[in-house]
Amino acid sequence: MKPFTRWLASVAGAAALGLGGAAQAEKEPIKFALLQDFTAVYTFVTNEYHQGQRDYLRFVNETGGVEGHMIETIVRDTANEPQRGLEAYNRARREGAVLVDFFSTPVSRAAVNRVLDDEVVMITALHGRGDASEGETFPFIFPMMATYWSQSTVLADYIDQHQGGLEGKRIALVHIDSPFGREPMPILKDLAEKKGFDLRAFAYPSPGTEQSATWSDVRRYRPDHVIIWGAGGGQQVSVREAIRNGIRQENILSVVWLAETDARNVGGNHLKGVKRFEAVGTGTDHAVIQDIMEHVIEPGHGQGSASNVGTTYYNIGVATMAVAVEAARLAMQEFGAPLTGEKLRDGFRMIENFDARGMMPPITITADDHQGGGYGRVSAWNGEAWEPLTDWYSAHQDIVWEEIEKDAAGFREGR
Amino acid sequence: MDIQFLLELMINGALTGLMYSLVALGIVLIYKSSGVPNLAQGAMVMIAAYLIWMFAHLMGVPIVFAILLAVVSMFLFGMVTERLLLRKMVGQPTIMVVMLTLGLESLLRGLGPGLLGASPKSLDLGLDMMPIIIGDVFINREYLVGGIIGGLMVAGALLFFRTRIGTKLRAVSDDHISSWSVGISVERAVAISWGLAGISAVAAGAMWGSVQGVDWTLTALLFPAVAVVILGGLDSIYGVFVAGLIVGILGSVIPGFVDPLVGGGTRDVVTSLIILLTIIFRPHGIFGREDIERV
Repeated sequence: MKPFTRWLASVAGAAALGLGGAAQAEKEPIKFALLQDFTAVYTFVTNEYHQGQRDYLRFVNETGGVEGHMIETIVRDTANEPQRGLEAYNRARREGAVLVDFFSTPVSRAAVNRVLDDEVVMITALHGRGDASEGETFPFIFPMMATYWSQSTVLADYIDQHQGGLEGKRIALVHIDSPFGREPMPILKDLAEKKGFDLRAFAYPSPGTEQSATWSDVRRYRPDHVIIWGAGGGQQVSVREAIRNGIRQENILSVVWLAETDARNVGGNHLKGVKRFEAVGTGTDHAVIQDIMEHVIEPGHGQGSASNVGTTYYNIGVATMAVAVEAARLAMQEFGAPLTGEKLRDGFRMIENFDARGMMPPITITADDHQGGGYGRVSAWNGEAWEPLTDWYSAHQDIVWEEIEKDAAGFREGR
Repeated sequence: MDIQFLLELMINGALTGLMYSLVALGIVLIYKSSGVPNLAQGAMVMIAAYLIWMFAHLMGVPIVFAILLAVVSMFLFGMVTERLLLRKMVGQPTIMVVMLTLGLESLLRGLGPGLLGASPKSLDLGLDMMPIIIGDVFINREYLVGGIIGGLMVAGALLFFRTRIGTKLRAVSDDHISSWSVGISVERAVAISWGLAGISAVAAGAMWGSVQGVDWTLTALLFPAVAVVILGGLDSIYGVFVAGLIVGILGSVIPGFVDPLVGGGTRDVVTSLIILLTIIFRPHGIFGREDIERV
């Protein structure tokens, strides 16, 4: 399918997934609303992410649905605008959506009170509020993967364990000048105090297309390690500027938003050795991806280009839906149909050691912990692919949870 | 004060500023002939970069020819835009024409990623990524090439306005009615200026696309380009060059020293202040004509 056609298909509105399972057509479908930014800020990731979600749901439907119920998606473009997102949400809710994924921090933040009031589950994997990990305050919101806070602790811990320790080191955090870019600051500050390293933050203006002045300053700081915290085109500019300013690739670590596209765009072999936080395994060598290949891609039912299958963002999309479907399955088994937001919430809270058949870290979600443990790993670009350097693990969750509880308390108190 | 740091900020800032001038030049070319401040110039830069990428990567054309094809395409695009959209606005209030260019910007911003995919694309011009190092001063090679091209484009535009067609454009920029009365086709002159703005967009798209990749964020170049044209003067090509240097240097040096103290974010403040202060204290800019109507 051509990109334009695919794009039109994506934003054209409600889309029933799959014709398979006609025998169960009489069973009421489960509706997931994927109200995402197809046309503005998150375009660097949305297409692949959304493609992974749709392909996985198609696979589920092709193989009998969830307890015989097909999953329907409601797809609309929010353009990363909270107003449009809320409008799309209201329509989706009226149409019976029990789960919503905005995949946009501004939109999902704007929708927090609505979904809590409406008792609709909102998943916020790798975006949104970090404090939504606290299930008591945010009962219907599920980050379900490592928050940015947890990502920063894993990266710092990697330096500590595998790159000669943190004590006495100079760590530069080079970030986009936005709330997202500043997100890891409090955690890294706490860690700097605890571990005895020097931390300095360097901000560059959004969208990160021009960072030369920032990196001139970074070079003079003579950092031992640089953590880059941006997304989209700004990330490749960061890597290029870092290398240009004499920082060795192996000493560059990134937030989760660094993918195959960035490797291509940085050019040559320049990204080789650069490390990143990884939330979900990449590549097609996973059982769940193989199933999608067999049941969806090879028969020609894929949502987009087959070349995207197995990329970082595609697999993250698959993982989000794998978790959501697992939650729906558990809820249906426990409470029966029809699936409501409340039942789905409880289904999420029943998830235990779920790893999408090895593609992601085993997550356990409880009534208290909606993050799922804060697991991830560090991988490096080896010139052709992202190669895992560690097992799945989490680090310094005590510090992360101090921050989560502090911010959640702030939300409760209206701060 | 670290002099070498200051020097590095100034040099790279000046080169960046000249790359902003590539975007600003298109705005000035159109304004000079038609009095229309084209707010779609950033989106035209993005479309130009997408075209180069499309010719080079999807059609396998060598990058030099891909750029040449983009030049032809964008020249035609500019002329067609003028013919289909702008000409219908003759006699309408300026604000309506400005709104039209804003609508065009929005349309193009969605169209490029919609047709060719939204993920960032790589545009490799074959430039060495490693900097030129003089003492402890690192000069960005891509910015150096971009700055030189920016300077050459400005010089080329100045020379163009001395040619026969250029003289007609100057006449049109002075007075449409007088130009009509002596037989100059104002419509054609305006269309040519849109075409030239398209060529300027190709130069900007190639250089900025090489630096940051090709995606919608190229449209954000409109903001610093607007600062350049307001400071330099909406109708001044000299102004594009000088103001480009000033905007680039101030936008590099001030954040370089102030950001570490305040936690970042001052470059856009600097750019905004340049726009505000210029409009308050010298609304026609450094080199602009005083009879220019405010928009």
